[in-house]
Amino acid sequence: MKRILMSLLALSLIFTFAIPSAAVAEESFKVGAYLPMTGPVAAYGQMEWAGVQAANKIQPTVLGKNVELFLVDTKSDKIEAANAVDRLIKKNKVHAIIGEAISGNTLAGGPIADKAQIPMVSPTATNPLVTQDKKYVFRVCFIDPFQGEAAASYAYDTMGAKKAAILVDIAQDYCVGLANFFAKSFIKKGGEIVATAYCQTMDQDFTAQLSAIMAAKPDVIYMPNYYTEVALSCRQAAELGLNVPVFSADGAQAEELISIGGKAVEGVIFIGHFAKEAAASELAKTYIETYEKETGKEASAFDALGADAYFILLDAVERAKSVEGPKIRAALASTKNFPAVSGNINIGEDGNAIKDAVLLHVKDGKFRYLATFKQ
Amino acid sequence: MDVHHRRNQILSILAIGLGFVLLYLAQKYLTSYQVRILNNCGLFITLAVSYNLINGVTGQFSLEPNAFVAIGAYTSALLTLSPAEKAMSFIIEPIIWPLSVIQTPFIISLLAAGIVTAIFGFLMGFAVFRVRGDYLAIVTLGFGEVVRVVANNTQTITNGPLGLKALAPYTNVWWTWGLALITVFYVSRLVRTSYGMAMKAVKYDEAAAEAVGINAFRHKMLAFTSSAFFEGIGGGLLAHLITTISPTLFTFFLTFNLLIMIVVGGLGSTTGAIIAAILVTWGGEFLRFVEEPINIFFIHIPAVPGMRMVIFSLLLVLMMIFARHGIMGTREFSWNWVVDRMNGLKFLLRNRG
Repeated sequence: MKRILMSLLALSLIFTFAIPSAAVAEESFKVGAYLPMTGPVAAYGQMEWAGVQAANKIQPTVLGKNVELFLVDTKSDKIEAANAVDRLIKKNKVHAIIGEAISGNTLAGGPIADKAQIPMVSPTATNPLVTQDKKYVFRVCFIDPFQGEAAASYAYDTMGAKKAAILVDIAQDYCVGLANFFAKSFIKKGGEIVATAYCQTMDQDFTAQLSAIMAAKPDVIYMPNYYTEVALSCRQAAELGLNVPVFSADGAQAEELISIGGKAVEGVIFIGHFAKEAAASELAKTYIETYEKETGKEASAFDALGADAYFILLDAVERAKSVEGPKIRAALASTKNFPAVSGNINIGEDGNAIKDAVLLHVKDGKFRYLATFKQ
Repeated sequence: MDVHHRRNQILSILAIGLGFVLLYLAQKYLTSYQVRILNNCGLFITLAVSYNLINGVTGQFSLEPNAFVAIGAYTSALLTLSPAEKAMSFIIEPIIWPLSVIQTPFIISLLAAGIVTAIFGFLMGFAVFRVRGDYLAIVTLGFGEVVRVVANNTQTITNGPLGLKALAPYTNVWWTWGLALITVFYVSRLVRTSYGMAMKAVKYDEAAAEAVGINAFRHKMLAFTSSAFFEGIGGGLLAHLITTISPTLFTFFLTFNLLIMIVVGGLGSTTGAIIAAILVTWGGEFLRFVEEPINIFFIHIPAVPGMRMVIFSLLLVLMMIFARHGIMGTREFSWNWVVDRMNGLKFLLRNRG
């Protein structure tokens, strides 16, 4: 017992005196990232961090200074996210911040950065409230109302659907938000929501909901849910003989959709942030090459947006010719036509990215680019 | 009655005074990051100590604090938000009428949060205390989930998944530590009254307690409702500390965090709950350095996110092996113990000199 305690004590002493390897270069430009590296949405944080790191490989300096990255884990939690931002600003003394991956946590971190006048760029916080009234908070993704509206117009105008049914996962804030925005836009266009059915994350059986939807005879089913639920409900819809096009959202863009759904997800359409085939800019090509070499994985929306947050930040620093918060902020706010990995990005007055969305569909067991949706 | 009662009272008052002087200095000289951790500590003391009342003292293993904190947080947030801010945030559907125009001062919103949550806890108690043991845990866990899902889907009240934002940052160290003090005072007084004794009796053997005339249901309800009251106010403080709330904040993980605290501290010990709340809240931030890249002499360890959770789990495992009753077991802090130790120390020093 005593020996164990002694060795534990020795271990903790080593940790206490160990020097963090952050090379203490006075001249570096410090970028802090607060991302969910553990917890329920860790997958997003890890992908985005990999994207940021790949971007850092491509562009390791700005204004002749080394870019130094700091990563702080938020455990996918709001309280931790607020702690993390305060820590990055006060302890690591960062010049700018990238994060968070999900909206709720960015809402917690945003006000702190705003108060400290440290610019913050979120890769994937899509809730419209995130940037509202915040001078220093920006994002490189499109927002939920835009996605809902894009889905509604594509379904109504291009697919010619007049009657839509919605199957929504009520346990996920992201799904409920999108379903509401879709319904609002679809009705505004003159369409009709003939059925709304609810499910919950981890549900296995969707037959009751699908039967109710089937009875309402919709032209399209909108399923803004995560890939597992989309894949399972598509399988069961096929078994029931429900032959209606399925429209999904960016949460469906994961290989698992196809591995779980198999033939049943063939033809599923969704709006995404990034499609490899549609990535046209030079930067995008360099990025995809670097990312795939570094990680051995295929580039996807989350890592691409992580990289975009990094690139757009460095671009602003270069134009601002300064590392001071207010100056970077002004340059960020005036970003025009920046050829980023996920497409051309303009930053609007409110700090939101104005950019195109891509439509993808599943064809022959692969995600394929279908069309671009202009904003 | 303790012969040293009066002395102990004076010592307590002195310690509290000293504590508040330290808080004043901390607020003045520490960075906002350090003050934030201090606030979290105070807040989690309130939550852990009040949770401990039902789980530890009364021995009713329940898993609902996330529901209570959520109700408190939403109640107080909806009361302090200005009508203009509400109109701006509710972009999918406007907020329903009385809430759209009400705005109250912070303290009233906190009291309302406590009362609304206590009423909810009271009503919920009738349903959940029909079962015991594991079933109680499952039913209360269900209630926690229900509250979160309702918050996610009542667009016109909670703004659904979009959540509420731009709450004024009213919460400071005076609120968090002041509430912690009140909670600790209430709970430690309550457990010493006949009600508290009855709660402990229910914990050790419910049938025997009923046999000697204790109304187990009534005492469970008292513990549960009191716990709900403080959790609700704690929720209100939490909302105004991080200035934004949404249903994702109130998942089972919040409950789980509190559960770790009271188990590490020792189920039933208020002192233990306080120590563990500080240890887990502050320790979690302190241990962040293990997730940074580290150089020990010539060995380079790359950054490993999640490392501090591994250390926490390790500590928990060690605790399960060597100190199964937690840090304090069911013991409490007492001035007598401190004074005895001091006297012992004095004696030792004098003999040596």
